[in-house]
Amino acid sequence: MASTFVAAFEILSFGAIIVLVVLGLGIIASMMGIFNFAQGEFVLLGAYVTYLAFSRGAPIWAGMLAAPFIVGAFGFVLEALIIRRFYAAPIVAMLGTYALGLIIRESVRGLIGGFYLTVPEPIGGSIDIGTMHISAWRFTIIIITLLVMGGCYLLLSRTSFGLRVRATLENPALARASGISTPLIYGATFAFGAALAGLAGALIVPVFSLFADLGIRFLIQGFVAVMVGGVGSFIGPVAGAGLIGTLSAALPWIMAPVVADVLVFVLAIVFIKFRPQGLISGKGV
Amino acid sequence: MGAAKQALRATLSEGPEVSMADNGPDQASPVRQAAAGLKVLPIVEGLVLIVALILPLFLQDYLTVFATRVIILALFALSFDLVWGYAGIMSFGQALFFGSAGYGVALLARDLNITSILLVLPAGTLIGLTTSLLLGGFLLLGRHPSSVIFVALGTLTGSYAADRLARGWYYLGGQNGIPSIPPMSLGSYDLTEGPVYYYFALGILAIVYLLCRFLVRSQFGLALAGLRENEQRIAFFGYKVQHLKAIVFAVGGTIAGLAGSLYAFHEGFVWPNMLGVVISTQVVLYVLFGGSGTLIGAVIGAVIIEGVSFWLSDNYREIWPIILGVLLLLVILFRPLGLISFVLGERERVGSFGAARKEKRNAAP
Repeated sequence: MASTFVAAFEILSFGAIIVLVVLGLGIIASMMGIFNFAQGEFVLLGAYVTYLAFSRGAPIWAGMLAAPFIVGAFGFVLEALIIRRFYAAPIVAMLGTYALGLIIRESVRGLIGGFYLTVPEPIGGSIDIGTMHISAWRFTIIIITLLVMGGCYLLLSRTSFGLRVRATLENPALARASGISTPLIYGATFAFGAALAGLAGALIVPVFSLFADLGIRFLIQGFVAVMVGGVGSFIGPVAGAGLIGTLSAALPWIMAPVVADVLVFVLAIVFIKFRPQGLISGKGV
Repeated sequence: MGAAKQALRATLSEGPEVSMADNGPDQASPVRQAAAGLKVLPIVEGLVLIVALILPLFLQDYLTVFATRVIILALFALSFDLVWGYAGIMSFGQALFFGSAGYGVALLARDLNITSILLVLPAGTLIGLTTSLLLGGFLLLGRHPSSVIFVALGTLTGSYAADRLARGWYYLGGQNGIPSIPPMSLGSYDLTEGPVYYYFALGILAIVYLLCRFLVRSQFGLALAGLRENEQRIAFFGYKVQHLKAIVFAVGGTIAGLAGSLYAFHEGFVWPNMLGVVISTQVVLYVLFGGSGTLIGAVIGAVIIEGVSFWLSDNYREIWPIILGVLLLLVILFRPLGLISFVLGERERVGSFGAARKEKRNAAP
């Protein structure tokens, strides 16, 4: 019983981490039609900012709070300078963002060297339920993920900013004609997606520690999750991320980890092939 | 069919003119050269061949080994160029075919002691063909045409999954791969790294290059060029677009398999990176750099990137990937047709597809 509960918690917390990472990727892919290969590096940057704050003696939570804003601002600048030129061609966008990601990743690698740098958890210890212990920080990540998910949903579905973003997605020409500054909306959306990645990086760095390939680890999983969930809505990628995250955390409990690892990808690709619109199709939020 | 061909040519001749208009003044000179009847492409190809032929005479042994590796990677780049530059399929997982052929021949050599050139090279080529047919058939064929994004991410995922599989599978050597593969043999002669291997690889590259050149200038290549320029119109002419794509994908995979088996025997070991995202993206860099859509561009890109990387690796190992990223970004933003577009005009890149023959026919009566 206890081990089942621990397994369930592990699966849930890994699922939450994947959802957190995929949120930004999904918003950029759905709202802008760009598969951002640099998203993994935004996660890395968020982790790096947190590490920097920690190593300079600032409290860790301060670094975690600052990370989304710094990465978001960085994303906004990148969008205005470079990403903006790629909107017409999705494949060129992939290659261009890949080049950007390469630059960021290798710069960070140069800064931190080939090390694995650890950042302690801001909320340490464990929560005891009867005889079982679960990590307090992982539990916090699950809570924050739920809050961020809810916040994003409300932002996109209930605010006028969300309405503008969705209008720009549905029909850019009409949105422009209605007085919405679409370039600004694109910039803000990209910055928002980058900020979410920065937050994800900041939150997961105590779990995975900081190394240059931190982001790449999640990138392909994230892309697959977005495709499985369905591009074009907010809910789709989140659902896909939940599914992929849960599967890739759950399968190793019942079969050899190597097989499980590959099986998740194979299943996902087969699923997308036969249901290209994804789990949740239709526009909505 | 005849009418379709005519219309196809019309489609193609529209292409270059439109893009020439917004090319800016710096591209005017190669265009003018091409218009004056001066063919740049054969000159570039000839120069590259001559340099490649005489190179080992001036190189020390260890540099010849390095040059052989570059030749094999150029062959690999050719396979990606065919798929992306000519058919417009973004294969982000080209290393899957390269690596699985490498692993295949490594296993043949390790477990069955088969190292004869006459067996292992066809075997590697066949592995490349089979894997690319399976993956390409799955990704490209079907009732609904697949989106470009799906194919790109599907190939990427395939390559990544194969990498993970090789890393975790004890039979394939796990993280370390398969070390100390014996050299290829022909009878009692062992083909070890050095000038002989260099010329052997160069010979194969030259043959494959000529075959590809023939292919892209043939009727099939004409349909491919149309596919790249305007897929819908080709579909309207009655071409089975998905089948064309799957065929090119398989041809690309076959060449990648050949390159992979040469690479495995040249290096003497295979390791999981050979299957994965690292090599897959590297080959994309070669082709984008040199110039996609020209066969020689892929070769030049591989040579330049590997050459500069080798040259810088002593002093600037850490910053080289950053420089590479910046250069790639600059090429994508300002020279989408790659370095070759500095000397090669748009009209010559797209090619004439038997226009000369047509002119002769018109002149005869």
